[in-house]
Formats: sequence, structure tokens, C-alpha cells
Amino acid sequence: MLENFSFRTIVEYLPLFGQGLVTTVWLSALSFVGALIVGIVLCAMNLQRGWLFRAPAKAYIDAVRATPLLAQLYFLYFGLPRLGFVLPELVVGILALSLNSGAYIAEIIRAGILSIPRGQVEASVASGMTYVQRMRLVVLPQAFKVTIPPLLGQAIVLVKDSALLSLISVSELTRAGQLLASDRFMPAEGFLTIAAFYLLLYYGLKGLAGLSSRWLGTAGART
Amino acid sequence: MTKTGMIDFRGVNKWFGSLNVLKDITLSVEPREVVVVCGPSGSGKSTLIRCVNGLEAIKDGDLVVDGQRLGDPATNMTQLRTEIGFVFQSFNLYPHKTALENVTLAPIHVRKIPRAEAEKAGRELLAKVGLADKVNAYPAQLSGGQQQRVAIARCLGMRPKIMLFDEPTSALDPEMISEVLDVMVAVAEEGMTMMVVTHEMGFARKVAQRVVFMDAGAIVESGTPDEFFSHPRTDRSRAFLSKILRH
Repeated sequence: MLENFSFRTIVEYLPLFGQGLVTTVWLSALSFVGALIVGIVLCAMNLQRGWLFRAPAKAYIDAVRATPLLAQLYFLYFGLPRLGFVLPELVVGILALSLNSGAYIAEIIRAGILSIPRGQVEASVASGMTYVQRMRLVVLPQAFKVTIPPLLGQAIVLVKDSALLSLISVSELTRAGQLLASDRFMPAEGFLTIAAFYLLLYYGLKGLAGLSSRWLGTAGART
Repeated sequence: MTKTGMIDFRGVNKWFGSLNVLKDITLSVEPREVVVVCGPSGSGKSTLIRCVNGLEAIKDGDLVVDGQRLGDPATNMTQLRTEIGFVFQSFNLYPHKTALENVTLAPIHVRKIPRAEAEKAGRELLAKVGLADKVNAYPAQLSGGQQQRVAIARCLGMRPKIMLFDEPTSALDPEMISEVLDVMVAVAEEGMTMMVVTHEMGFARKVAQRVVFMDAGAIVESGTPDEFFSHPRTDRSRAFLSKILRH
């Protein structure tokens, strides 16, 4: 059984895997930044009192969370050109991941802000701070700290979701595995190798989470 | 019409849903006066002082603070709040800021005092409340009594005209209560206008000019500490005092 497993072919394809890995890393990173921006905007809309901003934000978040990422990706990739927007597949991919992850991030940030005890807001109101001052000086710095671990969790999900971009022929990591599988008919080698690389990325992000929580230290400790 | 005090409640009512939490409150606090508010839990005493800086909105009646009518469009609430210090039962210090930063945050950003000047004043205030050595400590590193003293210093940093205290010692261990009360006595003796929700009778006797007893949202009785504690006039206040003075 194992004698059929060709390590040599894996080594032979390493440059391809390497390129795929690099593409996965940078497109995930870019998508995450995009998702953060989408998330912050959605969250700010969602925290408004009037429904004018809140309703569209809620509708968007529900729509994204209720539908498969693959369907969203296909809509952007196959649907948008029919509506007159032709974009390169990489742009579509990053757009899809940003728009999708942004909805989840909006909820993560909102939960972080709502987790700040009422007393913090009352203390800053009582000292005469304006809404902007208390968000900037009191609420957001604390919310940021509780938000980091779930944000990194979302980053891990995003990296794995980026595998779907192989379906619109973005040559990222999973695409490299598919190539090995189809060129040489070696799916075991191809997909096991990419799994190992994803695991590597996962540990990288997890290490980052550990570092950041240590960096938060006592300064953020609640009493 | 009575003369205008620093804090003037005139026929103030407030409801939480159908519950009448403040019933026709009329009360005037003069400048430099210290008024202690006591009463059973749920009697509306916290709500009463939270109305003074607008943490709670009143439904009807007039509430005039430092000459400005609350709820009046001409009243700048944010501005008025800078003149009113509020000390919470649960301290509510900013956990991500050091003791000094807690004290200087509002002076720097709200009062626009230069940082160096605010820090100098902040250090002096922390020294005044006995925490000169805790300037760089975070709230999590301080005891409850120390945190509450930082909270008082944080209010004083704004140089307020009025200080409100909402059960400032209720969340503290017994041996920490006196260190906080000592600071409050010192603030009172400097002539601060104060409304204090507390059951600390020693504090009331020492610095309060008046004790106001509330029950079920209404002011039932009010008088000097001596009158109130030694000769309560109503059955309700006698029953209340017999419970809190027994221990």
C-alpha cells in the first residue's frame, strides 16, 4: 500500500506547492484586511440607533451567513460578468473572501463592544466625554483586546475557505494539490501534502494568537 | 418659589415602565452642603442621584443643577457633567489604564488640560487619597478600597462643583470602608457640594448637614443626622433604622 506513495513526486512538485502556499498566504492576508474593513463598517452601521443604517447591515450579515460561500463565490465569478462587471479571478476571489468574512467579523467586533460592562460607558459619560471620545478612549481599546482571539479564529477559517478559490482557477495551495492529482493521478500525495501545509499555516496563526494574548498581559485584566 | 440651590428637584417624577420609581421629589441641596440619602433597597435613592447628572432621565417636574435645567435644549449635558463627579458602587475604573491615567484621562481629553499639567495634578490627587505609590498600578492590581479612592481622585481631577456618591462603600470589605470614608470626609470638609447614598451612619453624623430617608420612591423624612438617627419621626424610618443599627 504505502509502497505506492511517491514521496519523490511530492518533492518534484514542491516548487508548485511553494507557489501555491505563497499565493494562499498573501491572498488570505489581503482578504483578511478587506474583511476587517468590511466588518468595521458593518459593525458601525449595526450599532446605530436608527434602522436606516442598521437594517441594511443586518440584512447583509444574515444573507452572507445564511448562504454557502461557494454560492457567493460563483455568483461573483459567473454572475457579475453577466451583469457587466468583468473582474480577474484573483480579484473576485479576494472580494468574495473579504465580503464573506467581513460579515462574521462584524459580529465578532459587535460582541466585543457589547461585552464591555455598562459601568465603563457610564463612568465615561459621567466624566463628560462625548460619544466619540468614549468609544476611542474607553470602549474600543478594551473591545479590541477581547476581540483578538475570535478574530484569529476567523483568520484560520478564512485561510481554509480560500481553498474554494481553486474552483475558479486561482493557483493557490489547493489548486496545486489538484494539479498533482490530475497530472499524475496521485490524489493521496497531492491532498495530503496540501493538508500538511494548511496545518503549518494553522500553527502559525495559533502561535500569533498565543503571542497576542501574552502581549495583552495584565493591562487588560478585569477586576 | 423657593430659592435656587446647587441641585434643585421640584416635583420630579420618574417611571420604569409602570413603576413609579421617583414620586414627586422636591429637594434642594445648597452649595457646600452634604446630603446623605438612605433607605431600603429599591427605594429609588440611586435613581435619585443618577438623575442629577442625567444618567437617568426624569419624566416630569424640574431638576435644576448648577443653574441649568435638565432636559432643556439649551442645557449642554456633556458640559454640565464635567462639573459633576460621580462615584459608583462598583468603582468602574478603566481597566486598561493605570491609576494615574484613570485620573488624567478626562482632564486631558475633556477639559483639554496639557498632559504635563494634568499628570502633575493627578499625582497630587493620588497622593491626597493616600495612593502616591500606586500611580502606575492597574486597577486589577489594587484592592477594592484603593480602587474606590482612585475613582474619587478621578472625579476630583475634573475639579467638579458637585460630587455624587452611589453607595461608594457597599462593595468593600469592612476594613477598607474607613479608608474610603476618610477620603470622602476630607472632600466634604473642603466644602464640596455632595449627595451621598450610603448607610454609613458615622459618616452621616460627621459631615452631613442633612439626611434624607426614602421609601418606595418618595422622600419620607428629612432632617439633621442627629434628629434623624436619634428621633426618627415616621414608623417607616424607625423600622429601617432598627434594622441597620442593630448590628
